[in-house]
Amino acid sequence: MKEINQLNLPENVGFTEDHEWSRKEGSAIRVGIDDYAQDQLGDVVFVELPQVGDTFAKGDAFGSVESVKAVSELFMPLGGEISAINKNLEESPELVNTSPYDEGWMIDVKPDDPGELDAMMTNDAYLEMLKGL
Amino acid sequence: MSKPVKKTRLHDWHVNRGANMAIFGSYDMPLWYPSGAKEEHLVVLTHAGIFDTSHMSVITVKGSGARDLLQVCFSKNLAACVGKDQKPLTPGRSVYGVFLNEAGEVIDDAIVFEAYDSLFMVVVNAGMGGVVSAHLQGYAGGRKAAVVDLTDQVGKLDVQGPQAARIISRIVKRPEEVFAQLPYFSFKGHFNTALPISGKVILTDGTPILLSRTGYTGEFGFELFVAPDKFVDLWQMLIDVGQPLGMIPCGLAARDSLRAGAVLPLSHQDIGAWLFKNHPWPFALPCEIDGRGFTKDFVGAVALQRSDSGQYTFPFAGFDLRKVSAAEPAVVVDDTERDIGRVLTCATDMAIGRHDHRIFSIVSPDKPVDFTPRGLSCGFVKVTKPLKPGQIVRLKDKRRTIKVEIVDDIRPDRTARKPLAKFIGK
Repeated sequence: MKEINQLNLPENVGFTEDHEWSRKEGSAIRVGIDDYAQDQLGDVVFVELPQVGDTFAKGDAFGSVESVKAVSELFMPLGGEISAINKNLEESPELVNTSPYDEGWMIDVKPDDPGELDAMMTNDAYLEMLKGL
Repeated sequence: MSKPVKKTRLHDWHVNRGANMAIFGSYDMPLWYPSGAKEEHLVVLTHAGIFDTSHMSVITVKGSGARDLLQVCFSKNLAACVGKDQKPLTPGRSVYGVFLNEAGEVIDDAIVFEAYDSLFMVVVNAGMGGVVSAHLQGYAGGRKAAVVDLTDQVGKLDVQGPQAARIISRIVKRPEEVFAQLPYFSFKGHFNTALPISGKVILTDGTPILLSRTGYTGEFGFELFVAPDKFVDLWQMLIDVGQPLGMIPCGLAARDSLRAGAVLPLSHQDIGAWLFKNHPWPFALPCEIDGRGFTKDFVGAVALQRSDSGQYTFPFAGFDLRKVSAAEPAVVVDDTERDIGRVLTCATDMAIGRHDHRIFSIVSPDKPVDFTPRGLSCGFVKVTKPLKPGQIVRLKDKRRTIKVEIVDDIRPDRTARKPLAKFIGK
C-alpha cells in the first residue's frame, strides 16, 4: 500500500470524494480514477464504461471498475454527456493501475456546467481529505 | 465493540514490502504485495509463492485418550481415512475434516496431524483456536486428553507451487532424506525440540521445523511450522533462496482465488453454521467406501443422517472474469427467473479460460496454442434445489447479472497430488 505521501496527485486535475479525477481536455472534461483509488483496488481486471452519447447527472454511476478485490462503481464527478470512452481499457484494464491519469483515463464528458470542474478539490485539499480517512 | 487487531510476526515485513493490508479473522494481513494479486496467483502455478499463514491456530491434543477424543469430535475416522482403501492414520500422516456441533453444523474445518499415537496437532482457522479447544474439552469427559491452544505460539507459512521442493531443499539439511516418501497429506519433523521426531527436518541453521505436504491452493507445495522466535528468520531464508527460482510473497487475495479455483471451501463462508450436507466436500466425512453411511459415530453424525435442510452447495465457473459481490449478497436465479439461493464465494481464477467448451489453465499440457486467458469467475452457490453439472444459472448482485455453469471441478491440471519426484529433479 502506498503511503499517503507517496501518492501521485497531480496539480492539473480536480479530485472528488469518490476518488475520481477530472481534467480539461479540449472542450471536454476527461475523467478517471486517481492513484489512491487504483492502489486501494489492486489489479484492475475489467472496466465497464458507458456508451458515447449517454448522459448522466453529477454523482450518477457511469460504470464500474473490477479489481481482484471487488467491483466498485464509478461516479460522475460532474453532469454531462459522454463524448468519448477509452477503448484501450477493454483489452488492457491494467492501464488504470499503471497510468491512472494518462493512458488509464476512462471517459470524456461534454459538461452541462464547466464550472463544476473548478469546484472540485485541489490536490492539496484532496490530500488533506485522505489524511482524515 | 470491535475486536482488537492482531498482527503476525511478519507484519512489519509485509508493510515494509508495500503490501496492501486488511483485517482477516481479526489479524491485519497482506491482501497483496506491489506485484499484484494476479501475478501472485499465476506464480503459484508457474513457479512458487510464499504465504504468511501464521494467523491460523494450532491446537495440540495429547495423552492416551487423544485419539479417542478426536474420534468423537472430528469428522474423519482416524482408524480408516488414509488413501482409497481407508487405512488408519499413522504418525507422519494428516487428514482434512471438520468439527461439527450436535446439529451437524460446521464449527470449523481442520487438518489433524498425527505426530505420535498419543500426540496430535490440529490446525484450524484464524481466531478459532479457543473455540475449537473449548469444543474438544467439552467432550473430553474422563479421557486422558490434554487440549492446548497454541494460538500465536507457532509460526506457520506456506510455500506453494512447482518450485516449492527445490526452494525448501536449499534450506534444510539432508534434503534427499527429507523429501523421500513424503506423499500428499504427510509430514516430517516437528518444531518442538523435546520431541524425537524434531530431528527429522532441520534447517541449515539448526532450527527444527515441521514440514507438511499440504496447502490451500490446490497446487504442489508445503506448509511449514516453526517456533515463533525462528519464524521471521525462516521466512527470510526462504525469500532469499526462493527469489532466484521465481518465488514471490503472496497475499490473501491470491490465496482466495487459488483455493476457489481448486474447489476448496473457506470456513465460515462456504461451510459454516448450517447443516454440513449436500456439498462438494463429502471427503471430509467418514463415508463408507460405497458411500452409504459412516464408518464411525461422531458429534453431528446423527443430525447429518436424520436431517435434511433442502439446501445444496455447488461449485460454479463463469464464462468470463466478471464477478458478483457475494457479500452484498448476490442471489442465484434459474432459467425461470426464480430466486433459488445465494452466492457463497465468487472470485476470479486468473489462470484459467474457456476454449471449445472446456476450461484450460495456463499450465494445462494440452492447452490451445497462444492461450492467454484473462480468468474466469468461480466459487460456490447454495441453492434450494439440486442442480447438475452443465446447468446454467445466473448470479445477480445489485450491479450486474452474470451467467455461470454448475461444475464438478474448476481449475484443471492442478498439481497438489502429483508425485513429489516430478518437482525435485533438475
